[in-house]
Amino acid sequence: MEYIMTSIGLSLVQGFVLLLIAPLVAGIINKVKARLQKRQGASIFQEYFDICKWWKKATILTPYTGVIFVLAPVVYFMTSFMAATMVPGFLTGQFSMGDAFIFVYILALGRFFMTLSSMDAATSFGGMGGSREIYISVLVEPAVMLAILINSIRYHSTTLSAMVIDYNEAFFTVSAVLACVAFFLVMLAENSRLPVDNPDTHLELTMIHECMTLEYSGKLLSLIHLGSYLKIVVFLALFGALYVPVEIPLALKVLLGAVLIGIVETLNNKMRLFKVRVYLGAAIVLLLLAIIAE
Amino acid sequence: MDFMEMSLLVYLLGTVTLVWPKKAELGAHYFGMLCSIVASGMVVFSSLNYLLSSGSRWLIDLSWGQYSLQADGWSGAFLLLTGVAGVIISIYALDYGKGYLGSRIRALGGLWNLFLLSIVLVLISGDAFTFIVSWEIMALVSFMLVNHESEKKKTLSAAYQYMVMTHIGTAAIMVAFYLVGSSADSFSFADMARNSLYGYMRNAAFVFAFAGFALKSGLMPLHIWLPNAHPAAPSHVSALMSGVMLKVALYGFGRFAFQFIGMDVFWYGLIVMIMGLVSAFLGVLYATMEVDMKRILAYSSVENMGIIFSAFGCGMVLYSMNFPMLSVVAFTAALVHAFSHSLMKGLLFMSAGCVMHATGSKNIEHMGGLAKKMPYTALFTLIGCMALSSMPFTSGLVGEWLTLQSFITLAQQAGSPEMRLLVVFAFIMLGLTGATALGCFVRMYGIAFLGRARTHIVEKAHEMPFFMLAGLGLEAVLIVLVGVMPDLLVNLMQKVVSGTGITPMGNPLGIMWGGSGYYALYSPALIFIVFALIGVFVVASIYGSATFQAKEVTWNCGTVPTSRQQYSATGFSKPLRRAFDGILNPKRRTTYLRKEHAYFGRKLHYELSIPDLFNDKLYKPLQQMLINSSSSFHRIQEGSVSIYIGYTMVAMIVVLIWGVLL
Repeated sequence: MEYIMTSIGLSLVQGFVLLLIAPLVAGIINKVKARLQKRQGASIFQEYFDICKWWKKATILTPYTGVIFVLAPVVYFMTSFMAATMVPGFLTGQFSMGDAFIFVYILALGRFFMTLSSMDAATSFGGMGGSREIYISVLVEPAVMLAILINSIRYHSTTLSAMVIDYNEAFFTVSAVLACVAFFLVMLAENSRLPVDNPDTHLELTMIHECMTLEYSGKLLSLIHLGSYLKIVVFLALFGALYVPVEIPLALKVLLGAVLIGIVETLNNKMRLFKVRVYLGAAIVLLLLAIIAE
Repeated sequence: MDFMEMSLLVYLLGTVTLVWPKKAELGAHYFGMLCSIVASGMVVFSSLNYLLSSGSRWLIDLSWGQYSLQADGWSGAFLLLTGVAGVIISIYALDYGKGYLGSRIRALGGLWNLFLLSIVLVLISGDAFTFIVSWEIMALVSFMLVNHESEKKKTLSAAYQYMVMTHIGTAAIMVAFYLVGSSADSFSFADMARNSLYGYMRNAAFVFAFAGFALKSGLMPLHIWLPNAHPAAPSHVSALMSGVMLKVALYGFGRFAFQFIGMDVFWYGLIVMIMGLVSAFLGVLYATMEVDMKRILAYSSVENMGIIFSAFGCGMVLYSMNFPMLSVVAFTAALVHAFSHSLMKGLLFMSAGCVMHATGSKNIEHMGGLAKKMPYTALFTLIGCMALSSMPFTSGLVGEWLTLQSFITLAQQAGSPEMRLLVVFAFIMLGLTGATALGCFVRMYGIAFLGRARTHIVEKAHEMPFFMLAGLGLEAVLIVLVGVMPDLLVNLMQKVVSGTGITPMGNPLGIMWGGSGYYALYSPALIFIVFALIGVFVVASIYGSATFQAKEVTWNCGTVPTSRQQYSATGFSKPLRRAFDGILNPKRRTTYLRKEHAYFGRKLHYELSIPDLFNDKLYKPLQQMLINSSSSFHRIQEGSVSIYIGYTMVAMIVVLIWGVLL
């Protein structure tokens, strides 16, 4: 019992630490993008200021919305936080409350409520965002499953702590490298980044994640953004801990991953919505090869 | 007399409503439903008895002559499911059935009891004859229940389609029983387990048994009756058909697999697994395209039966690869998911009934904003939708997680590239299924219950009467209870599986409390507590101050939005329709009615139909072939009596010559 309490305590502390650095990582991504586009860019602490600003503002609701609309950002934030407590490699040690599948389904709970809320404001913007979010998640899910599969075949377990990459065994093997590339592609799609979705706009060309959150303001908006930033950090940490076959500290991996996202986002355009299935098909094929090669 | 025998008698007593005086229709209805509640409650108690007894065979002392009734752990698991569903859905029907006052409500009550009775009899029959007879009663009674609103043409054709299909299934099952029974020289289950089938005969028995039971459980491509029959039946009947009757097929198939045929042939399990996986994905894909609430649920039943059978098939494959210990996980997954699907599909069919009761329509395109009109129904439906999308803290995730774990187990034993490919296929299918199911139920709930009313039918919607809400609420509570504390159910089902003769094992999956060193982990209770703690903190920080003062109309590029501008259900599934158009083959027709202007003010008419792949590509050609071949017999059927007398004479002469020559 004491072991469980301590471990949960440590997990929660880890969640808070990741929550604290999450806006910073988002700031770094934006800074990298700005510098590569020869702009000065906002300060890397800008996301903290934004969150504080939204937190102070009043929340405006439309008369059509109901409980789901207010509940959804809370659940979305909580699922991201819960996911942050489950990431292996920082403080959690061997203890876990759920394995990789549960991790995926907890994040899916957040998506469930966000897509529901997109329909609650009774406009076509939200519905369009929700519909496309579902479309992308359907294509991402098989790739996520295969990414879990490959590590669980290698380490005979599905718990995240057991799936942490073993550098002696998987140092630049074919399957490790393929899985690493594939998971990076999956991570971009899962976090609504370019080339799948554009996090900077909610206009017609993209209209996915940002479009779902169009009606939100005030504290609810800041919760959604915190949740999104946290989700990126969680995925970067997971990417580093489970799939990058190089032995460097995890914090450095997260930082380098953020820089890499910035570079990729500068080099790529948003692709057509129905091209996404080709993009994610490529990720699935890479994972398939990785599993055969394992 | 024990509970089991008493429950059979009480069900029989309930059928008295068939001959109840017409003046006291309401009394007949209440009497019938009370009988089924009491009897189903007794079934629950007696099933616990079979489940908790130490795995050995329990015989009820009710055997007469060749016919016998008996129950073991395997029937106990399904009796539990039947009893729970029977109690809850009957409570719901106390109020829901009143909608049928004046339209054969007495028949509805009596047949309801007879339906439950026949299901229980199938589950406790101890020989092939009793099984087939009760199976046939079940088919006929459910046909009559589906056909209850026979004034509607659609209902009539759905019911007859169901009748034909289910009899094809029964025929296949009878052949399977015959093959097994004749090789064992007896038709009692105990003797049939000692049959000496081998080679081709055994393969044939397996194929017939699987075809028959797969048809009854609606696996693709044998599912075509299901999306028509379920929406046609009264809602509580569809809840029972989908929640329980489909699982009875799993019961029968399990009996064949465990006891009569064996599972040591690799391809037996492979077929079951692949058919299950394909049904799971295609089922949920078609569900996402439907706009009729009950058809969505019916196709989703195809999906969930697919998941259940894929887990079962995975177990069979593991068993045939000589890992009986590991196969226990997969069989447990199938049972747990069967139980949880019975809860959630019961709940959602009942809430579809509520929505029909409130709006008079099943089409979600006409709804919107129901959550404000009927908040409790909306809450319970949300829980059901979450469960069917396998969200955490619901029973749906428990079954889904165990299924995923059983496939992971298979993956870890699969060394060869072919097996790896098979496992990859399985995970791609499961991943697609899981995410599409989420989309499907977000769409159903979001369009029907959230946003604004799309048509006036929503305006007169109102909250449901007490017993209907009680039915929904009980299911919802059970879903959450199983979802947060699944260890009781999982251990029970694991015991059942071990009792069927597969080697028992410890608990390799840490399912209750977290820890380390497990091979896989899920501790929903712990996650729930932590989640609730975080939730309290977040909610307190938001609602601590007065935040929500302003109310403003939704942003719509500067205009006031109308309710018609909301996303429609058809629009919502458009990206998926486009992504999988190779499978779905949507037939679209857009017509422009141009009057004055070419671009402004013109009227658009959009038609969309998505034909069922198997209906178009398999059944229609098959039907055409049958008609063609029978019309070729037309030539000898002239219709004049003298020709038929001539035929008879020729036949006589042939027979006489034959007799003389031999």
